[in-house]
Amino acid sequence: MQATQKKQVLLVGNPNVGKSTVFNALCNKKQKTGNYAGVTVASHSGFYNYENEEVEVVDLPGSYSIYPSSEDEAIFSKFLIDKQQDYAGVIYILEALSLKRGLLLFQQIQDLGVPMILVVNQIDQAERRGITIDIKKFSEALGIQIIQTNAKEQIGIEEIKKAVLNNNFVKANKQSFETPNEHKDFIQKIMSHKDIDNEYKAWMSLSLGTDLGRIESIIEQMNEPDSKSLVPKRLQVQETVRRYQKVDKILSNVISKKAQFKELLTEKLDKVLVHKFWGYVVFLAILLIIFQCVFFLAEYPMNWIDDFFAWLSAFAGEHLPEGPLNSLISNGIVPGLGGIIVFAPQIGILLYFLYLLEDSGYMARVVFLMDRLLRPFGLNGKSIVPLVSGTACAIPAVISTRNIENLKERLLTILVTPFMTCSARLPVYSIIIGLIISDKSFLGIKYKALVLMGMYLLGFIVALFSAAILNKFIKNKGKTYLVMDLPTYKKPLFGYDFKMVLGKVWDFITGAGKIIFIVSIIIWFLSYFGPKQKPDQLVATNVQLDHSYLAKMGKGIEPVIAPLGYDWKMGVGILTSFVAREVFVGTMSTLYSLDDDAPEGKVIDKMRNDVKPNGEKVFNFATGVSVLLFYAFAMQCVSTLAVVYRETKSWKWTGFQVVMMTGLAYFVSMLAYQILK
Amino acid sequence: MRYDNDHLKMPNKIIEMGLLPETVFRILYQAPFSGPMYVEFGEEKSRIALREEEGDFIIVEELN
Repeated sequence: MQATQKKQVLLVGNPNVGKSTVFNALCNKKQKTGNYAGVTVASHSGFYNYENEEVEVVDLPGSYSIYPSSEDEAIFSKFLIDKQQDYAGVIYILEALSLKRGLLLFQQIQDLGVPMILVVNQIDQAERRGITIDIKKFSEALGIQIIQTNAKEQIGIEEIKKAVLNNNFVKANKQSFETPNEHKDFIQKIMSHKDIDNEYKAWMSLSLGTDLGRIESIIEQMNEPDSKSLVPKRLQVQETVRRYQKVDKILSNVISKKAQFKELLTEKLDKVLVHKFWGYVVFLAILLIIFQCVFFLAEYPMNWIDDFFAWLSAFAGEHLPEGPLNSLISNGIVPGLGGIIVFAPQIGILLYFLYLLEDSGYMARVVFLMDRLLRPFGLNGKSIVPLVSGTACAIPAVISTRNIENLKERLLTILVTPFMTCSARLPVYSIIIGLIISDKSFLGIKYKALVLMGMYLLGFIVALFSAAILNKFIKNKGKTYLVMDLPTYKKPLFGYDFKMVLGKVWDFITGAGKIIFIVSIIIWFLSYFGPKQKPDQLVATNVQLDHSYLAKMGKGIEPVIAPLGYDWKMGVGILTSFVAREVFVGTMSTLYSLDDDAPEGKVIDKMRNDVKPNGEKVFNFATGVSVLLFYAFAMQCVSTLAVVYRETKSWKWTGFQVVMMTGLAYFVSMLAYQILK
Repeated sequence: MRYDNDHLKMPNKIIEMGLLPETVFRILYQAPFSGPMYVEFGEEKSRIALREEEGDFIIVEELN
């Protein structure tokens, strides 16, 4: 057997040029492609084997320039420059429809002395617009071989693999950006002083500016009186304008256009989709359709899953030996898992729609439409993407804030996104709404559905208003702006997105399943054992639920939760929810199935009939509302907190978020319970 | 179009997106309440969204 060689390559290009599609075609790995700038918010890597070489492909976030203006672009530049020793070269993707913009970054990277392979993607799209690109001339002008691809159709992928195998990465033989004459001497001095052999790198040590804290130090070290007046930003603008002038010259020889110019899909669609009035109508209609599907289309598969788990629970109950273990499995773990898996269809439908919206290019239009409306709340139009995807899960939503350039707007978006009703709240809401809201309908719409929609709306409104309040207290650093590409509409990859959704839903089920399984067992143990009742015992076993360690713990926190109207069982449910919200359902199932007094019957019926010592129902209207509000506002997700810390790099803001959200939850729930009881 | 000489307050991103001096552009749409503008420019018909504040940095000459 031949030994495999390993090689790392980077995939680089502007946002929306089909980079992620090329990545998927190369690596055949599950990874989200989108038609909204910033889908590849972190660098992902994938592997493929070709001949006897194993290649790692790192898909970097898209960028327009080597000079970063947002967090995702900073990640890109840092990786590209700092890791130059590690990778074999860069595969640079140009989109045939926007060569000009793509060449700016291409030439910057070339000038850094990085070896590259150039790929022009989606030439068919350009041809449809009547644009012909003379690839031969283009290749000569740039001094690099060009691979043509249509990544969605898998065309040209083999050629890329071959080029990587043969190490066809090319370094530029001449720098395309000439250092302006007035700075030439200074650059030469920096090169000899700092031992930099690349003129562009020396230039960048000036132009990259204060972001990396370099300019002062270099200028001070050089002790050059003239250089004190250098402004990095001005140097960047100078460079960009000069580069574009050169690029224009190259392209004018390469591109030819036919006279006829058909009105394209994008132009037609945007007449309606960004219209002052109809644009908003369409956006609202799309949201309504999504939620309609989430609640009503999902009902059928949800019933099947429900029936299956009811059957499984009964089956386990009959066939397992009698005893507490039987009760744990048939009434605790199985219904607990079923209680989560039943929401898989809803989560899947929601995610599928979000993927299609991103993929098609529509999300950028939503940003355009929402920017003005979100600004009074201290947010940016780009905040709408985290807010909408927060209805699925806050974790990817918080990560997707990286393309918001202004730090304050980004921080506000991160702080309020977890208020959006994520899919983990759905199981809790459904079970509580099922307990306290009647089955009646109003104008053909069920009250239950209305209340559920109300909860979604509540999350959104609280997110906006808390942003508005925080906006008053957080200082603004830097200028706020919106300069955003509006990509052409593309047909979404329906089948591919479906595969992605299945993967995500499976992750949700296994992730939640594991936690619920473990929590169920811990709860079972804590409820099976109790403080010793006779002096010679170490611990008491098989105790009544009320005498168990669990009850002792639950009753310990009862004074804290009593003003909210909760008994100790709900207290335990809420405590375990701080691992993840959906655990509440599993905990409740386990707890109620352990109640020896009534081993038969469905968990939900037991919850409905449970009474407090004073004869009051445990789940009455007031406590139900109180629980709903608590789950709407409280910060109860460890994974989200971890991501918030990673993104803000601040314990202060992470801690603030926990206190703000949970404090609000406690206060509002108490208020609601005290008024309604 | 040209740029205002107050380069430094202007986001570099405008230039990086290819909206350069001497570029011919059209404002196709604008979101309500003086929201962002939908700008189409250049040979390649690039489309970007810009707020009015960013638009203020741009000096415009009318073409027919």
